[in-house]
This record gives sequence, C-alpha cells and structure tokens, in this order.
Amino acid sequence: MIVTVTLNPAVDRIYWVDSLRMCEVVEEEYLTRATRSATCAGGKGVNMSILLAQLGVESVAMGFIGGFAGRTVVGDLRDKGVTTHFVWTRGETRTNVTVLEKGRAYVPIFIDEAGSPVEERDVERFMKRYQRMLERATWVVLAGSLPPNMDPGIYYDLARRAREAGARVVLSAGGEALERALEAGPAVVKPDTRADRRLLGGDLDSRDAVIAAGREMVSRGAGIVLISHDITGDIAVTRDGVWEIQTSVKVSDLRNLIGADDALLAGVLYQLDREATLEDALRFGLAAGIATAESDLKLCGDPQQIRAEMERITVKQIGGGVQ
Amino acid sequence: MNIREIMTKDLTAVEDDTPVKELIFIFESAETPDMPVINDDGRLIGFISEKDLIRAALPGYFEMLHSASFIPDMNQMSRKLVKIAEEPISKYMRKDVVFVTEDDDDLRAAELVIRKGVKILPVVDKERRLVGRVRRIDLLRKLL
Repeated sequence: MIVTVTLNPAVDRIYWVDSLRMCEVVEEEYLTRATRSATCAGGKGVNMSILLAQLGVESVAMGFIGGFAGRTVVGDLRDKGVTTHFVWTRGETRTNVTVLEKGRAYVPIFIDEAGSPVEERDVERFMKRYQRMLERATWVVLAGSLPPNMDPGIYYDLARRAREAGARVVLSAGGEALERALEAGPAVVKPDTRADRRLLGGDLDSRDAVIAAGREMVSRGAGIVLISHDITGDIAVTRDGVWEIQTSVKVSDLRNLIGADDALLAGVLYQLDREATLEDALRFGLAAGIATAESDLKLCGDPQQIRAEMERITVKQIGGGVQ
Repeated sequence: MNIREIMTKDLTAVEDDTPVKELIFIFESAETPDMPVINDDGRLIGFISEKDLIRAALPGYFEMLHSASFIPDMNQMSRKLVKIAEEPISKYMRKDVVFVTEDDDDLRAAELVIRKGVKILPVVDKERRLVGRVRRIDLLRKLL
C-alpha cells in the first residue's frame, strides 16, 4: 500500500484569464475577468495520490485538514477514489491561487498561503495513526511544505519510522526539512526549489551545479535524487550514475505547470512500485509530468497519453557514480 | 453491486480514549453525525453518534418520561455536557456495532440501514480493520 503524507494540503483555485492587467494609476480601475476557473484538492502528496488513482493505484492520503477548505480537499479526494485519513484541526486549510494568462501559461502566477499552525495534540494524534498505517505501507510519500509552526525535523522522524517499518520513502520537500530528512535514507528525493533555486547552500545556476547538489544528497543518504534542470528536463543522480531526462516538447506548448512536478514523481513511484528499471521509471515519470503540463486538467494520469509522451523523451547517462 | 464499489474510502475514526469534547469538534468539522471507534490496532470496536452524546447529556430518567416538559429547565443538558466533556467516549459508545465488509452487497447495506436505523455503516476488512464507510447517500448515488 502507498501512503501519502501532506502535512499542509491546500485547495487549489485556478483562474484562466485572457490578459492580466495591472492598475498602474490610482484612479484607473481594471477588472480582470476569468474566462474559466477550477477548484480542486492540492498539495504535493495529495496531487500524487490523485495521479496514482488515475493510474489505477490505491493510496491513502494522510495529513492535517481543517475548516471549509479542508472539507473541499477531502470531498474532492473521495470523489477521485483516494482513501482519506486526515486529522481534523482547528486551523483552516490553506488556499493556493494560480493565474494562467492566455499565451503565457508556461509562466503562471502562483500565490500560496502559508497554512495554519497545528496543535501539538493533533501532531500526536497524527503520529499514532501514521504508525498504524505503516504496518501496511510499502511506500510512504512525504511531500510538500510544512505548517508554519511545524518542527522541520518532522520529515526525518516520519522517514525514519517508515524505514524501520520496512517501507521505502519518497521525499519531496525543500529547505531544512529536506536536508534533515536525507539522513533517514529516503529511496527517492525531489527537492522543491520553486521558492529558492538553491540546494544545500549552493546555487543551482548550471547543470554542473545541479549534478553536484544531487551527488551531495546521495552521499548524505538519498537513493535517487531528481532535480529540475529546466522546465522540460530533469537530472537524476544515484550512487551508480547521473542521467539526463529530456523531452522534445516546446516550452511554449505547455499549458499548465500546476502539479507537473508531482505528476512526474508519482509516475516514477508508479513504475518503481512495479519493479521497473530506473530508466523506464524516469521516462514514464517525465512523460506523466509533461502530459499534465500539456493538459488543461490539473493532473493528467491518462495512461495512453503518458505512453504517447514517452516517445518524445530521451534518457541519457551523462556521468558516473558517486564515489 | 458490492460494497467495494459503493463505499466512501474514508478512514476517519476516533480512538476509544478520545474525549467527548474532541469528538464533538470532529463531528462538526467532518460534517458527519456518526463515527466508528477503533482500538490501537485500528480495529473496529464500537460506534458513536451525536444522538449517543445527546442522550448522555440528558438526565438518566429522561427515557421513562413521555415528554421533556416534565424536566425542570435548569440548564441540565448544558451542565451535564460540560461535566462529561473530558471523559473518554468509550463510556458512551455502542459496542454492538453494525458493519459490512467490502464483499457484502448493496442489499445487505440497505437492509441494515432500514432495520437498524443507521445513517453510516463502517466497512471493515477480514481482520476487522476499517477500510471505509457507506453513507445512505452513497447507496442512492451509486445505484442510480
């Protein structure tokens, strides 16, 4: 069983606009009317659960949820066939807003809320349920930002418990929470560098810098490290080598980048769970990410579309293993 | 149609040591009137509803009366609720819990809804671990 943990889930509000006009003069008033909008459950682990469900794989989504937005998240997940197992908290679940401008959808505007603090007794309640779920878990996904008051060591703790219970861990996080969790030996790591293109103190300003950061993360305990190199390609680093995964799709053909990274990681997990080779998992993962980015849907887990995308993807080994 | 196809895959449940006050918060947050009760192993051991808590807040002799108008209004319900707020729900849950398994069919669920008057049926696996729930609306929506 796959368990996904999203400690700070969200409602995603997506607006499509013809043009986004900013008011530059106080007297002037501009109204930007959305041509379309969508509301759905969000957060990295939640997105992965949804994509896995689209691929026919069951998962249990866990984390903290609260208020009106929390009910929206849970309702959407249930409608999409995901098993929900959240702890209800007194704080309201956050709402994240994305604006996609016509012709410029590949550079979306993201406005993400920080989320509500979580009380200590709710953390204890969550830990009890998490420990129980580990008895049946083969994979545990720890993904996304943390609630404002959460100890950044929590991903380390959750990953360690998962490993002790015999489950493999997929980690998608950033900052201190990511760095500390490496020590617990996660099988797959995808650093979240959206807010800060830095990793382990270094800038990710070149392909070599990305590879160096990946190697460092492997030497600190990660199994497979996946780092976004550019929008249409990723770098994968393991103890055995370095791979570049690239699609021939043009950036300007991408219509929706929300959740594309999560779709990629869910695709990789889907294949690894089926004991696929690393190269096949990487190819399928990027195909799932690109299928999502080319779709108007927030997440596209249509196996046929993903298979079609795989034809346009190259996976090439570009470096040796970590010494 | 079997229960596996009908059920809502929701594992929301409470442990038997959960305080009454916390359960009221969960009822309100999750917008559900009933809740399965599980033990430390995640196995179903009981069931508790808003009705059970309302009954617990009333005087013990209430059910012997024909009408609530015989009870003097001295904020009895409120005072009793405050008194039991920190108590574990195990004191008020029903242990004769009605449930279905994933392999049961829709008629079995409908029968229990009608004969036992339940709004929600917990769904358990072979080891009696909670795997979901069937609401009355699930039966209506999925079978239409």
